[in-house]
Amino acid sequence: MPLGDCWKHLSWFYYQYLLVTALYMLEPWERTVFNSLLISVLGMAVYTGYVFMPQHIMAILHYFEVVQ
Amino acid sequence: MGVVFLRARAVTLLGGRQIRLPLISFRTSRLTLYKPRTLIFVKFRVASQSVKMTESSASKLLNGEACQRALRAKNAGKNGFVKNHCVFEHPRKYRRPAEKNQNATSNSSLYKKPFSESFEETPLLVAVLTYMGYGILTIFGYFRDFLRHWNIEKCHIAHEREQQKDFVPLYQDFENFYTRNLYMRIRDNWNRPICSVPGAKVDLVERVTHNYNWTFEHTGKVVKDVINMGSYNYLGFAENTGACAGAAIETTHTYGVGVASTRCEIGNLDIHEELEQLVARFLGVESSMAFGMGFATNSMNIPALTGKGCLILSDELNHASLVLGARLSGSTIRVFKHNNMQSLEKLLRDAIAHGQPRTHRPWKKILIVVEGIYSMEGSIVRLPEVVALKKRYKAYLYLDEAHSIGALGPNGRGVVDYFGLDPKDVDIMMGTFTKSFGAAGGYIGGRKELIDYLRCHSHSALYATSMSPPVAQQIISSMKIIMGEDGSTLGADRLRQLSENTTYFRRKLREMGFIIYGNDDSPVVPLMLYMPAKIGAFGREMLKRNIGTVVVGFPATPIIESRARFCVSAAHTREMLDTALEAISEVGDLLQLKYSRRGRPLSSLGWSSEESLLQD
Repeated sequence: MPLGDCWKHLSWFYYQYLLVTALYMLEPWERTVFNSLLISVLGMAVYTGYVFMPQHIMAILHYFEVVQ
Repeated sequence: MGVVFLRARAVTLLGGRQIRLPLISFRTSRLTLYKPRTLIFVKFRVASQSVKMTESSASKLLNGEACQRALRAKNAGKNGFVKNHCVFEHPRKYRRPAEKNQNATSNSSLYKKPFSESFEETPLLVAVLTYMGYGILTIFGYFRDFLRHWNIEKCHIAHEREQQKDFVPLYQDFENFYTRNLYMRIRDNWNRPICSVPGAKVDLVERVTHNYNWTFEHTGKVVKDVINMGSYNYLGFAENTGACAGAAIETTHTYGVGVASTRCEIGNLDIHEELEQLVARFLGVESSMAFGMGFATNSMNIPALTGKGCLILSDELNHASLVLGARLSGSTIRVFKHNNMQSLEKLLRDAIAHGQPRTHRPWKKILIVVEGIYSMEGSIVRLPEVVALKKRYKAYLYLDEAHSIGALGPNGRGVVDYFGLDPKDVDIMMGTFTKSFGAAGGYIGGRKELIDYLRCHSHSALYATSMSPPVAQQIISSMKIIMGEDGSTLGADRLRQLSENTTYFRRKLREMGFIIYGNDDSPVVPLMLYMPAKIGAFGREMLKRNIGTVVVGFPATPIIESRARFCVSAAHTREMLDTALEAISEVGDLLQLKYSRRGRPLSSLGWSSEESLLQD
């Protein structure tokens, strides 16, 4: 079933992420701390992109005189 | 009135010229007691020509003859230069090779069979990710130390009592940072208790931990028949049945187990004499001496051989026992790059040319210390080249065959047998009985004068208890089996089985795509892991599949080059190796360990069809 396969794939990717960032060796609460820090930083980056990206794109297009 | 003794040491140098280095000593009579000794500065001239070693002269060098070369008069005036006469040439340009291949090609005349070693370079992405992993662990380490310091978290490590907080600190907290914060987290991969004989299969005691490896509890269960890829059991003599074990039991009935004295006092049993004569016959040397502990053989005998005023040239990756012995001796120690003959030659030439550091006196003796097989790299020493260098520059050679004795060579006589050299070329042959003979202890073999000297002057002989009789009997029986003197072909069978197992195991691992270090013939197989989390994950996943492995990290290896080390044994059958290889492949896929970037023989068919499509 595709959902089970998808879940297995995601689980394998999460395991690789734990191994590469050495979170595999940390205790569960430390993993929670690191993951929440990472997600908050990434969330803030995405939000900033969402807020400012249209203005940046308009400025670039204005510079290259594609729009007025 | 002083009597002057002039002793001249003739040293054969580059170009075959003999140069006499005079050592002048004064023996003063009572009237002239305080006459100062004059310091002799040794200066000599060398002609700076570039010389190419031909094949015939390389082999002549091996036989110790001096090479005759013509001198050009116009260049004879330069003083103190020691370049361009090396036996082994430096590469002309600095090349950055894709793999660190220690150049085997330039001196192929000294080797009877091809010497193929490889140490594939760490992939850049893997190195960066490994450093990132260590960085994250370090940050969390500081965080946990902070919590421990402010008593937010319970501190399990040793610390002083409240009343002693103002005293001089007893425990160095910062230096144990690595142990506390990194090693402790994956500590369950080491010190696993074993409850059976460590043969091809072993039983482990099951342990659980409730506080993340700070303390362990035994559940009472035993994990049975774990395939043992970690024991140094190269010839399979770690067994509790068979001829060796039977003979050891008989000896226990005759002599008991303890000796209760040192060799010098009343602990010299006739079984020790028999053992030493057998070891001397096995190695092909005049005489040998056996000690109770392999580590102590190195660390207690090197101080007896060298002292102040001597020079020890030791390989970069020598074992801790050799390093400890060299430091205890008080000699000057210089380190050459691992298995690198140009580096060794440069050090030898500088040592002979410049002498001791400030006084420029000649060194009393120069001792080159190398190992037969380096257990962390799986590399074999380039012994023919080392022997050629030692003969040319008149140095002594100390060969530590801890892992190679019994495991290399057509007759199992070690690395000297493997290269087909004369045992008399190596001045001091040291080895241990722990690895291939299934016992414990070490030996030193060499000329009779050397061994007689060591019997009186070695710390281990004077103060350490001698070897236990059943252990000595185990060595005697296993050595006789290897030599074939017990009348059966068991020894030859085991040697052949070991070399077949080694070749098969290494070839299969390389084909699977792992990065394997070392020589193709060495039974020690390091498999690179690199990332710190994979060290713990590999050990645990292999144990889940019933295979016991040894994983190694910092400080035994460089910080990013952590590895799993397999020791192939003659006791492993083909089925066991296949099971192990399958499990290793599975774990390698799970953990993404197949880093090797060399071409693999699979899927070439798909490539060629695509290419032909693109060309059209």
